[in-house]
Amino acid sequence: MWAKLMNIVLGIWLMAAPSVLEYGPAASDNGHIVGPIIVTFSTIALWESTYIVQKWNYPFALWLLLSPWVLGYEVATASMSDMAVGMMVLVLSSRKTGMKNRYGGGWSSLWEKNPKHMEDQRDNESEAERREGF
Amino acid sequence: MAERTHIPPGWDYNPATWAQRIPIVILALVGFGIATYLSLYQLDYVDTVWEPFFGDGSTTILNSKISHILPIPDAALGAIGYLVDAVAGLIGGTHRWRKMPWIVIVFGLAVGPLGFISVMLVVFQPVLFSAWCTLCLASAIISIVMIGPAMDEMLASLQYIQRAKRSEASTWKVFWGIGDETEKVA
Repeated sequence: MWAKLMNIVLGIWLMAAPSVLEYGPAASDNGHIVGPIIVTFSTIALWESTYIVQKWNYPFALWLLLSPWVLGYEVATASMSDMAVGMMVLVLSSRKTGMKNRYGGGWSSLWEKNPKHMEDQRDNESEAERREGF
Repeated sequence: MAERTHIPPGWDYNPATWAQRIPIVILALVGFGIATYLSLYQLDYVDTVWEPFFGDGSTTILNSKISHILPIPDAALGAIGYLVDAVAGLIGGTHRWRKMPWIVIVFGLAVGPLGFISVMLVVFQPVLFSAWCTLCLASAIISIVMIGPAMDEMLASLQYIQRAKRSEASTWKVFWGIGDETEKVA
């Protein structure tokens, strides 16, 4: 939970930093694009059934580590800030979350041969049959 | 057991209860209100737009070429989207993930892509026009917050359709909730 909230704060910082620290145009545009994406994915990941969406932050966090060189940032603070944010988002997004509820095997069950929700269904049926005296 | 409580197999709760759905519907209605207000401004029914933080940011964004690229202004499109979210959130009972998978899928798709479009609009604002718009941001936040809580119900319906596919029941009829077809699937 706190890791995702931290990611949201970092994403908002990416959006605000260009005006606060007076970045050049390339770094500004980059922050204005990547910031909202990280905020979006981290917000969706706040809910247990969609926590997996936090992993979608990976490519954008990696991009933040590379972008000072690829885009040629003019301001040194922009490079430092973006790389620090990229590092932190990468680490925070890889944190495992303890699940309170079960979701029938989750999204990956949709392309599994023996999804969890079907196993549970069979268990329920046989249990019901036992109770009915079969 | 699942029959009485409508909890999907392998789950700990029913994602289609009113306690789950009403907050999303309320968010959609707030979003609808904001988007309606912004479209009234874009259609010149209101002369000024409320903007407490970013100076003439809202006027710049709401009068931009992109916002009028379609026959109707973009805020009106957003208002229609929120209305679809609210209506799709209300239709059906607390077992709709298995009785009416189609409405759950419509709901999930409307909430998902709409949220994504709002984020894209936020992204384009400062890059293209060097301006921010408070109410547009508020609308985007609402859209994003709606996505997570709407998706669990969609997952339950998709798993249900997956079970239907592997049973003797017709997947087509199950999807539309026709007749007693759903009784054949767990």
